[in-house]
This record gives sequence, C-alpha cells and structure tokens, in this order.
Amino acid sequence: MSNLLLKMRVKLAFVKLFVAVVVALFLSACSLTRTGPEKDTLRMNLGAEPPSLDWVVTTDSTSFDVVSNLMVGLTRYTDKLACRPACASSWEVLEAGKRYVFHLRPDIKWSDGKQLVAADFVYAWRRMLNPATAAQYAYFLYPIENAFEYNTGKLKDPSQVGVRAIDDLTLEVRLKRPAAYFIYLTAFCTSLPQRQDVVERFGDRWTEPGQIVTNGAFVLKEWQHEYKIVLAANPLYFDGEPAVKKIKMFMVAEPATAFALYENDELDYVDNRSFSTSDVERCRNSPQYHNTALLRNNYIGFNVTKAPFTDSRVRRAVSMAVDRNIFAKILRRGERPADCWIPPSLAGYSASSGAGYDPELARKLLAEAGFPGGKRFPVVGLLYPNREDTRLVVESIQDQLKRNLNVKIDLINQEWKVYLETLHRDPPPLYRSSWGADYPDPETFMNLFTSHNGNNSTRWSNQIYDQLIEQAEAEQNPTVRAKLYEQADTLLCRQEAPIACTYLSTQNLMVKPWVHGMAFNALDMQFFEDIYIGDQPPPSWQRRPSHKLSTPGAVPHHRPGLPATGASRS
Amino acid sequence: MMLLVLKRALWAIPVLWAVASITFLLVRIVPGGPFDAEKNLPPEIVANIKAKYHLDKSVPEQYVLYLGRLAHGDLGVSYKYVNRTVNDILADALPVSIQLGALALAIAVIVGIPLGTLAAVRRGTTVDFAAIALSTVGISVPSFLIGALLIYIFGIWLKVLPVALWESMHHMILPALTLSFLPTAYVARLTRASVLEVLQKDWVRTARSKGLSSFHTVVKHVLRNSLIPVVTILGPLTAILITGSFTVEYIYAIPGMGRFFITAVINRDYDLIMATSLVFALILIISNTIVDIAYTYLDPRIKVKA
Repeated sequence: MSNLLLKMRVKLAFVKLFVAVVVALFLSACSLTRTGPEKDTLRMNLGAEPPSLDWVVTTDSTSFDVVSNLMVGLTRYTDKLACRPACASSWEVLEAGKRYVFHLRPDIKWSDGKQLVAADFVYAWRRMLNPATAAQYAYFLYPIENAFEYNTGKLKDPSQVGVRAIDDLTLEVRLKRPAAYFIYLTAFCTSLPQRQDVVERFGDRWTEPGQIVTNGAFVLKEWQHEYKIVLAANPLYFDGEPAVKKIKMFMVAEPATAFALYENDELDYVDNRSFSTSDVERCRNSPQYHNTALLRNNYIGFNVTKAPFTDSRVRRAVSMAVDRNIFAKILRRGERPADCWIPPSLAGYSASSGAGYDPELARKLLAEAGFPGGKRFPVVGLLYPNREDTRLVVESIQDQLKRNLNVKIDLINQEWKVYLETLHRDPPPLYRSSWGADYPDPETFMNLFTSHNGNNSTRWSNQIYDQLIEQAEAEQNPTVRAKLYEQADTLLCRQEAPIACTYLSTQNLMVKPWVHGMAFNALDMQFFEDIYIGDQPPPSWQRRPSHKLSTPGAVPHHRPGLPATGASRS
Repeated sequence: MMLLVLKRALWAIPVLWAVASITFLLVRIVPGGPFDAEKNLPPEIVANIKAKYHLDKSVPEQYVLYLGRLAHGDLGVSYKYVNRTVNDILADALPVSIQLGALALAIAVIVGIPLGTLAAVRRGTTVDFAAIALSTVGISVPSFLIGALLIYIFGIWLKVLPVALWESMHHMILPALTLSFLPTAYVARLTRASVLEVLQKDWVRTARSKGLSSFHTVVKHVLRNSLIPVVTILGPLTAILITGSFTVEYIYAIPGMGRFFITAVINRDYDLIMATSLVFALILIISNTIVDIAYTYLDPRIKVKA
C-alpha cells in the first residue's frame, strides 16, 4: 500500500514539474511577438565579430562592412565602383601623376561636431605607417613618398612622409612614382581620416561606443562583443541623415540559424555568410533572391620551380584541360567561369586572354613536353584548404585531368593556417587558391604575379610581365593602360600559364520586400545610407542619383579652372 | 573546512602553472601562426607585428614574459581582436556562459534526479523503459542535432520560441534545453543505478519494516545515500557547462566563452588559447573542491583529507 502511495507521490511530483515547464514555455511563448519589418531599422548578419573597428589596423571584410558605414574618405565608390567625391570635393593630379592635391569640403563634421580637417588624414596615414602601430595593411600606403622607409624604421621623422596638410582644407600627397590606381586607395578603409585627440585620449579602447568619433552616415551606438553591433543614423552627416535610423548587425556564425532568422522575419537581408548551398537552390527563383559576381578570382597555381611544371607547355596543357563551366554546376552558387585573371568588369579584360578549354590541344602540348597520352607523367600533389567548396573544385579538376590528359594527381588537404604556411614556405607543385580585389582596379590582381610579390606562390618570375605591370601602374591614359594589362593577362594566362584560372565567386543574397534601395557591388562592400524600410517609400525618398555613377575607370572630378599638369584619367 | 579550501587553493598554483606551461608549448608547436593570412604580408610588416607582440623574442624569453604577466593577472592580448585584451574578452563572454551553463545544470539536476529515481523505484515498468530510452537519446544524439530539431519544432514550425539570439529570457529556453540534454541523461542514468543499488540495502528493508513510509524512505534516506556518485560527476559537469559549449553557442548565436575553445585555436590566438585552458582548469579545481565539501554533508562518515 505504502509502496503504491510512494509511486503515486513521485509520479505526482514529476507531473507537477512537467506541467510547470510546459506552462513556463507557454507563458513565454504568449509574450512573443512575431514581426515583419522593425520600424526604420535594418537587421542583418555580420557572421562574426569584427576583429577591430580601428580602420588603421583592421584588414578583414567583416570590420570593413561596419567601418564603411561609419566613415567616409576622400572619395567613395558608386554602386558601379567608380570613385566619386566625398570628403574631397575635387582634386588635382599633378606632375605626371606623382602629386595629388585634394580640396576638402568645408561642411564635413565629425560625429562630435568638430570639423574634419586635412590634418586628420595626415595623422591617420602617419599612424598607419608608424612601425609601433604594426598595421598589417600599411603597405597599401607604400606608393607614397618615404612611406616604406618610415614604416620599416629606416626613416624616423614622419614629417618626411609624402602627405601634408597645406591648410585645413587642402591635402597634398606626393607619390614615389605615378600610380594610376592611387585614387581608388583614397576610398579604401586604409585611407580614412582619424582624430588624434580621440585616439590618444582613449588608447586601444577608442573604438568603443561613446568614445569613437566618426564622420560617416552612421554612428556606433552599441557594441555587444561577439553578439551585436547597433549603428544609429548620423544627424551631422554631410550628405543628409539617412532614412534608415538604425542598423542592427548580429553576429550569427551558423548559416542555418541565420537563414532561419531571415525566414522568421528577424533579419531583413542575408548574404553568403547566412546562406547554405541548399538554401540557394531552394530560393533561386524567389523575387527576394539576388546574385552578383564578385571581384574574387579562383585559380590553380603551378609551382614553376617543381617538375613537371617547369615546362610552360605542361602548365598550358593542364589549364586547357579544365572545363570552367562545370564549377557553377558543382558549387551551385551561380559562379562565373573564368579563364583569365582580370575579371570582366575591370579595365584590361579580354575574353581572348584566357587559356580556353581545348582538350585536344592540351593533349598535343603534353605530348610535345614528353608525356604522350599522359605516359611517364609523375603523380603530383594538389594542395587545398580544408573546406567543402574547395574539395569539390579540386576533385573535379582531378577527374578532368584524368579524363582529358590521363594524368593522375593526388589531393592534399590541410587545415587553413597549415595550408597558408605550406604555401608561403614551400608551395607544392599544384595548389588551389583565390584572390579578392581590395579596390576596383586591375592592379590589385595583376601585381600578385610580379616577381617581387610575396603572395606569388607560383615562384614564376617574368621580366616582360614585370615591366608591363610597372608601365601600366604608372600609365595615366586609361586606354593605353587597359591595353598593357590585357597584354600582361594574355602572357599570364595563355602563354606562360603559371596559373589556371577557374571561376569568379559570387555573392548570394536574400532581401525582404520591405527593404528598398539595397545595392550590391562586385567588391562586396555594403553601404546602407540610401536604404528605406517600409512597405512603400514616400515620394520624398529616392536614392541619391550621384550614387549611381558609371563604371570603374570613370573617375576624377577636377576642380574647374585648375589645370592638371599631368595626364589624368577622365 | 577552511584548511581544505586553503590547501586546494595552494595546490591550484602549481596545477595552473603546469596547464599554462604545457599549453604554451603546444600552441607554439602547432604549424601556422596568428598572422598567417590569405594575403601574405611583406616581411617588413611582419617584423613590425612580431616586435609589437614580442614574437621576435626567443620562445624561452616569451615564456618568461608570459608568466610575468600571468602573475599579475594579465592574461595577455588577442592577436585576432586587436583592440581587446584577453581579460576583456573573458569578462564579456564568461558571464554569458555561466548564465547558460547554470540554467542547463539546474535543468539536469531538477529533471535528471527525479527521472532517475522514478525509473529505479518503478523498475521494469513502462516508466523505467521510457526514462532509459530518454536518457539513451540524450547521451547518444549530438547537441547540434537536438538544437536543430528544437529550433525547427519550436522556432520555425510552432513559432512559439525564438530561433536564436540572446535578447531576453525567452531566448534562453531553447539553448538551455539543448545544453541540458546530455547532462540530464547522465544524471538520470547515474541516479537510477545508484538508487537501485541503495534500495537493495538491508537498512532500507529495516526502515520499511519499522513502518516508515516508502516516500520518506526514498526521498529522505535512499536518495541522500544515492547522491554521492551524482555529486561526483557534478564537479566536472559544472566546469564543462559553465565554460560554455561551442556547439550550442554557435547554433544559437550566443556570445559565450565556449566558441573560443575552438576559434582561438583556429586563429592561433596564443594568449586566448592559454586563457581558455586556464579558466577551465581553475573552474574545474573550484568545482571539485565544492564537491569534496558536499560529500561531508551528504555522508558524515566521509572525511576529506585536507
């Protein structure tokens, strides 16, 4: 009897507990509100914590996504990645492209109300070059006179670096030698101004909310590390306060979770960081889906110091034996096939620069190099980083080389950091890699395979190529410059082939219908100042027409009446 | 009691030193460094970075510098999050993990012990089989799968709970449930086995024959004597739960400390790797000390040697 009573009591206690849990769940659920848009707020996923919001030391795209909306530089990009005036209302290119003089707008204010002056640029650039700052991207400023010398400690006096404030509204930059791409650097995060008083007052913590001072469309309102950043519209922004008043940037690392949040209307837009391949497949036909080709090219590199890739015929044969159309089918993110190094949207691109797909010619070249029908071809290793998409790519290449050339290759998989170390220390005969543009100019791609470039793991060194790149960098005439890059690209991809390009990466996005004015660009930079959130934008709202300018290669706005002594791109 | 705590505190110093030293050595043996990136830096820039973080010094010199900082409570700097110290990072993340871990631990104890007891008392019945099945599922199904299922059922299908994020009390329910599945199952299985063993003891029969109600026998006597193994496992379980779970924090986007056990290694963020190891070791020492103290309360015959 007592045993039965015991059982009943224990059972009752358990039932009570269960009921309590269910009631708690129910009560909490009742107070949940399911929303569509949040008023005047854009909710997005950054995917990760930005390593730093100090634009002098940061190098990654997550940080740049935030900084690009907090700050504006001398120039900025249009949706089509042309440079347009920002802090500088105009500029002059003097002394055959060796000297730039920027004229700043007098109405640009920092978020604490102080006026932006030329000295703010001078301070930021010198700080970046100061060896004690240890800025990883300091080399972006190396085209400036004495920048390299100061950064490497050979020169102690920062005032000898070729940047100075002529007065509060005039900034002069002297370059070592003409660099036609320099203007693009003035829109890049490495060239943004900084306030000396703020950085020195707060030290390493100057980027925290309440301390950071910015001049862009938004200000940093809240930063819960590893979780969320909140930006608020900047009422002092020189181009007018943005229509969207708040941006919530969450840091959801798991794509499936982020996409579930989007489907639950808790995020307003998601991109590759929140998009699994199966979601892309499922949403491809949705009106909310967008796909944009990025300035990120993927390639197979040949270490030209290791046999059998010392022979350019072998490299060309391998390159021609790869059908680039297959990558979009296996990766399923709308990848664009690419057989040349300069992407189609940049100057210097030519469809004829690439190796093309020609298995017949490939077999012939291989036979000429001493491997008829793939006979006696050594088994070589293809190194790739430990990621699902790269595995699919290299497996496809392995299969194509076997089928088209009867050549067998081994796949070597390494963890990311180990892979990078191997690549930098002792590159294997074959490796899979990619390169993303920092600015929309062919220089960012083409410089990679010059003899002196530390990222050139192919170890390929070609004097003609180096000369072409050097000439192109200095050339101020855009037509001549494009022709030089086209020549270099043909040499790189068709004639010498130290690399076999494969495909251009893409950005896949889903945007809720209540988000208006979202623009996408090939640099994958996201600017939110022109966004409107709501069912129907009011008649007063419209995207600023100046944000929709032309294509890369357009550019500079010269001050009327001030002749440029040197040639300039126009 | 005070002597026990004091001695454990003193013992903690060489233990933590050993953990710090072994981790220091291991992270430097692993190939790849904190500043290896897709874009290889010019050697001049690398030299600046190494000088800033003292990585240009020899490994023994770095070790001495590190121990010197550690002695002052300075856990170092993050190479990845350049404007934050490791102390800052842990100060932000650890409280979140403690909150979530404590909640999961509470669920594990509140659900696991009654479930295990009920299964033992009703051995061989449907209740017992159901409890065993539940605990087997809890132990064998990985938390990412449980998390995904809970998100789908409550977040997407029923739409009664948030899918993820860490905004309010509601946002804690699913992650806490996910995190508690495994420990609940362990606690339930352990409690069941222990209660079954104690129920066979002669004194239980004696207590019943003297007229003590079965409820009182089980709750006041059997359970108390069965809890020693459960309390033993609660020590390491507490350390594991309150230092965060990578999987749960990852899938629910929770800003806790668990993710750093993985990401710090991936990023080769040396000081952060060492700090996470040290924090885990410290919490484990504290939990085990509390468990030892709890023994003496549960069973006065147990004397823990100070």
